[in-house]
Amino acid sequence: MDEPIIEMCHVFKTYPSQISALSDVSLEISPGEFTFIVGPSGSGKSTLLRILFSAEKPTSGEVVVHGMHITQPGFKKIYQLRRKMGIVSQDFKLLRDRTVNANVAFALEITGHARKEAKNRASEVLRRVGLEDREGDSILSLSAGEKQRVAIARAVVHSPPLLIADEPTGNLDAKMILDVMEIFTDLHQKGTTIVFSTQFTGLVKHYPYRVIQILNGQISDGRRVDIHQEKEVKAGE
Amino acid sequence: MFFLQYVMRRAFQNMKGNLFPNLITIGIIVISMLIFSTFSLLAFNLTNFLKIWEDKIEILAYLKQGTPSSEVEPLLRKTRLLEGVEVVRYVSPFDAMTFMETKLGGQKNLLGGIQPTVLPPSFEIQLKKDYRNSTKIKEVVSQLKKIPQFEEIQYGQEWVETFSVLVHILRLTQWILGGLLLIAIVFITSNTLQLTISSRREEIEVMHWVGASPSFIRVPFYVEGLIQGLLGGVLAILFLFLLHQGFLLYIPPSMQAWLARIPVLFLPPETIVWILLGGMVLGFFGSIVASMRVLKYK
Repeated sequence: MDEPIIEMCHVFKTYPSQISALSDVSLEISPGEFTFIVGPSGSGKSTLLRILFSAEKPTSGEVVVHGMHITQPGFKKIYQLRRKMGIVSQDFKLLRDRTVNANVAFALEITGHARKEAKNRASEVLRRVGLEDREGDSILSLSAGEKQRVAIARAVVHSPPLLIADEPTGNLDAKMILDVMEIFTDLHQKGTTIVFSTQFTGLVKHYPYRVIQILNGQISDGRRVDIHQEKEVKAGE
Repeated sequence: MFFLQYVMRRAFQNMKGNLFPNLITIGIIVISMLIFSTFSLLAFNLTNFLKIWEDKIEILAYLKQGTPSSEVEPLLRKTRLLEGVEVVRYVSPFDAMTFMETKLGGQKNLLGGIQPTVLPPSFEIQLKKDYRNSTKIKEVVSQLKKIPQFEEIQYGQEWVETFSVLVHILRLTQWILGGLLLIAIVFITSNTLQLTISSRREEIEVMHWVGASPSFIRVPFYVEGLIQGLLGGVLAILFLFLLHQGFLLYIPPSMQAWLARIPVLFLPPETIVWILLGGMVLGFFGSIVASMRVLKYK
C-alpha cells in the first residue's frame, strides 16, 4: 500500500480568542484518493485545509504532507510544499488586471518557467477546463463558474499530485457546480489526489468518494459512498 | 538570468504602478541627501582650507634680547634636532627690519628712526608635513618652550584652534543630522514600499499560494528600495553640483579676492560614490524593514 500523501495526527487548533477550531483530528489520505470534507459553516473545514497547505499552524499535533513534516518547528519550505499541490478557494483569488491566460500562466512564471512555455501550458490547461475561447479575455468579463474554472486551471497548471479545494462550489449555481465537479472528477481519474471541502451534503451523495464529516472541529471518518453500489441497491429494492 | 530579468521588470512595474508615492519618496530622499551632502561639502572645503593653511604654518621663536651671537649657532643646531622640525632659519634684527620695510613698501619711512636692534632676533621654524596640525604643533611648541633662550613662541594658535573647532562642529553636525536623516530615509522608504506591497496584496497572496519562493517575492521590493535610494542620491549630488557651480559663478565681489587663493572644491569622487552607496543601502534597508513587516509567507 502507498504511503499516505497526507497524515494528520492528534491535531488541535485553538485560536487566541479560545475558539477551538479543530479538536484531536487524525486522518490519513492516500495518493489518488478523492476526499470530501463535509460540514456546516464554522465547523473547521477551512482551518483543516489551511493547515494542510501550511497557511496556519496547529496548536498541537503532527501533520505530514508529501513526506514533509510541516508542523515541525522551523519548517520554512512552505513554497516547496505548495509547488507540490494546487489550491482552489471559494473566492477564486484571480488577478483582475490580467487576462485568463495570464492568470494561469502566472503560476508557472513565478516558479521559474519561461513566459512562452508558461503561456502554452496555460492554453493547454484552459482547453481542458473548456475555456479555450476565453483565453484573451479579462477576468472581469467572466461568470462565477468560469472564474472558478480559471482558478482550477491555475491550480493544476503545474500538474500537482495533490489538489486542495476549499468550498470551490460555494459561489456557484447548480449548473456551474456540475461543470466544476466534472473537472475535478476528470482530474481525479487522471490520478490527482483531491481534498474537497463543502457544506452541501447533497453534493457528496452524487459521487462515490470518501467523505469525512466535520462538526465543531471533530471529524467522523470512514464512510465511503459508492454511488454505483447505491444505485444497484435502489434498483434491487 | 531569468530571475534577474524578472526582478528588474517587476521592480520597475511596481514603481510605475505606484508612481506618486515613489516620486514623493525619491523627493524626500533627495532633500535629505542634499542636506547631508551640503554639510559634507562645507566640511570638505573647510578641511581643505585648514590643510592649505596648515601647510604654510610655521613657528616663530623669539630669542631673548641680548642673547649672545655665539649662542645662536648651537641653538640653531639644537632646534633642528627637535622632533618634527624640518627647516630652521635665523632672522636677525636686521633681517626683520628689511622684511618690515618690504612689507610697508612706499610707507617704509614710517620706520625712520627705529633702530633694528629694538627688534628681537628670531627663528623661523618650518615643520615636517606630519607635524603641520594643531595637535602636533603643540608638541613642538612645548619642546621649544623648554629652551630658556626663547622669550616667546608664536604660531597663530588661536586661528588654528578656532578653525579646527569649527571644522569639528561642522563634522559633528553633519553626522548628527546625517543620522537623523538616515532614520527618516529608512522610515519613508519602508512606508512607501508598504504601500506598494499593499497595492499588490492580491498578487502576493496568489504568489504565496502557487509556491513562489520568498526571494522571488521579496527581491523586487529590495531592488525598488535600492533604485529609490540610488535615484535620490544621484539627484541630490546633481543638485549640489548645480548649487556649487552657481556659487562659483555668482561669488560676491567682496569674497572674490579672499577666495582667489582658496579653491572652492566639489566633493571628491570617492565621497560621491559613498553618498550614492549610502543612498542605496538606506533604500535597501527600508525595503527590508517593509518586507519584514508585511511580507510574511502566509
